[in-house]
Amino acid sequence: MHLVRTDDPGADAALMTAFAGRDERAAGALYDRFASRIYGLGIVMLGNDQAAQDLVQDTFMKLVRTAERFDPARGRLETWVLLTARSLAIDGLRRRVLESRSLHAVGIPREDDPSPGPEERATVADLSARARRAMAVLSPEQRSALELAYFGGRTTAEVAALEGIPQGTVKTRIRAALLRLRDEMAKEADHDV
Amino acid sequence: MTCEEVRELLPEHLLSSLDEVTDADVRRHLRGCAACRDERMKLEEGVAALSRAVHDQDPPDELRDRVLGALEEEWKDAERVPVAPRALTRSRSRSVWTAVAAAIAVVLVAGSLAWGSAQAHKAQLASANAGSYRDLLSFLGGKEFRVGTINPSPGSTVQGQVLLYDGDAHHGWSSWGLVLVKAPGFDGKATATLLGPDGDAYTWPPISFHDGQGAAWIVTHKDMTAYDRLTITSSDGSVVASASIHPA
Repeated sequence: MHLVRTDDPGADAALMTAFAGRDERAAGALYDRFASRIYGLGIVMLGNDQAAQDLVQDTFMKLVRTAERFDPARGRLETWVLLTARSLAIDGLRRRVLESRSLHAVGIPREDDPSPGPEERATVADLSARARRAMAVLSPEQRSALELAYFGGRTTAEVAALEGIPQGTVKTRIRAALLRLRDEMAKEADHDV
Repeated sequence: MTCEEVRELLPEHLLSSLDEVTDADVRRHLRGCAACRDERMKLEEGVAALSRAVHDQDPPDELRDRVLGALEEEWKDAERVPVAPRALTRSRSRSVWTAVAAAIAVVLVAGSLAWGSAQAHKAQLASANAGSYRDLLSFLGGKEFRVGTINPSPGSTVQGQVLLYDGDAHHGWSSWGLVLVKAPGFDGKATATLLGPDGDAYTWPPISFHDGQGAAWIVTHKDMTAYDRLTITSSDGSVVASASIHPA
């Protein structure tokens, strides 16, 4: 399996142009390429299957409404899609926090209890184990900064306050963590060849 | 901004946690620096690696039909946009260009008045123009005109007006925009850039100033509805004027 892949910017631009032009095949191709990672992101960040499925649908709705703005010169399609999903997941987390606070304030239990069932717990546990293995190449400090920023949606200032370290250190750790993951995955890809 | 400063900010730029002004500065630097673009590419590959290693999980099979069905519904809804009256739909492309020309004329009049005439006269004409705008909107198919006053940054004399017409790309209607600026005594080039709330930027062709006045215009199929601000930058990249854009 090639974990680091160089996408073809021209092909990605053509795919998004077709998607913006309501091409069903382009929609199917985008779904097949990205749905698993959006769904997995939903499981990790939102913690249950239904919320993760909703995240996939919401992400595709956002993508179709903004497809014309995609510019390969400004970044990869893959990053654009993943960060769109991440942004929506962060919005979902914030809504959930606000909702639970207001329901807690008036003492009303949630009707749509988002607690995961046994299967979902197994899926989350599997993903967690995989995440631990993948992140093992990072130092605990790098891992913590990356998790808080990427999955927690925290700004570097917020991570700095939570960790009690300077903001510049947080930036350095996140950068180093991303580059380390990239290099590790490239090494694995080389071994697979 | 130096390469070192930009590289320190790249993770936040990538994770969309920079404030809009700083993010615009980073994007501006990236446009002109291949080495920093390469660094950004490496970090993007880090995000891709993270996603594949940590959160790649097959969703239930039935989700595919649900998502593609929702997309189909979205596209069908977009096709149900009210149709313009028959009398106005003939020779669409010619009508659009006629309308664009008419609108530009309206703005040019409004623009020159804003610079040269008394407030009372402006108010009187604004009222007449409001009627023209409404007629024109109806004529063009319904989306709105938006306008903004371009105000100078501290130490700058650049000021002017911006007008946008948000067309409907799905129905073949172009969007267009016009910027009119003046800066007494200035001869040179500047750049107008539209900015959106999520940090998106759309840079226009350069504005050339002659005798202290300049203009730029665009006609595009790009959806411009999300852009709500405009900046004017000088050739050294500093912001010399800006505008908030709002419905006319």
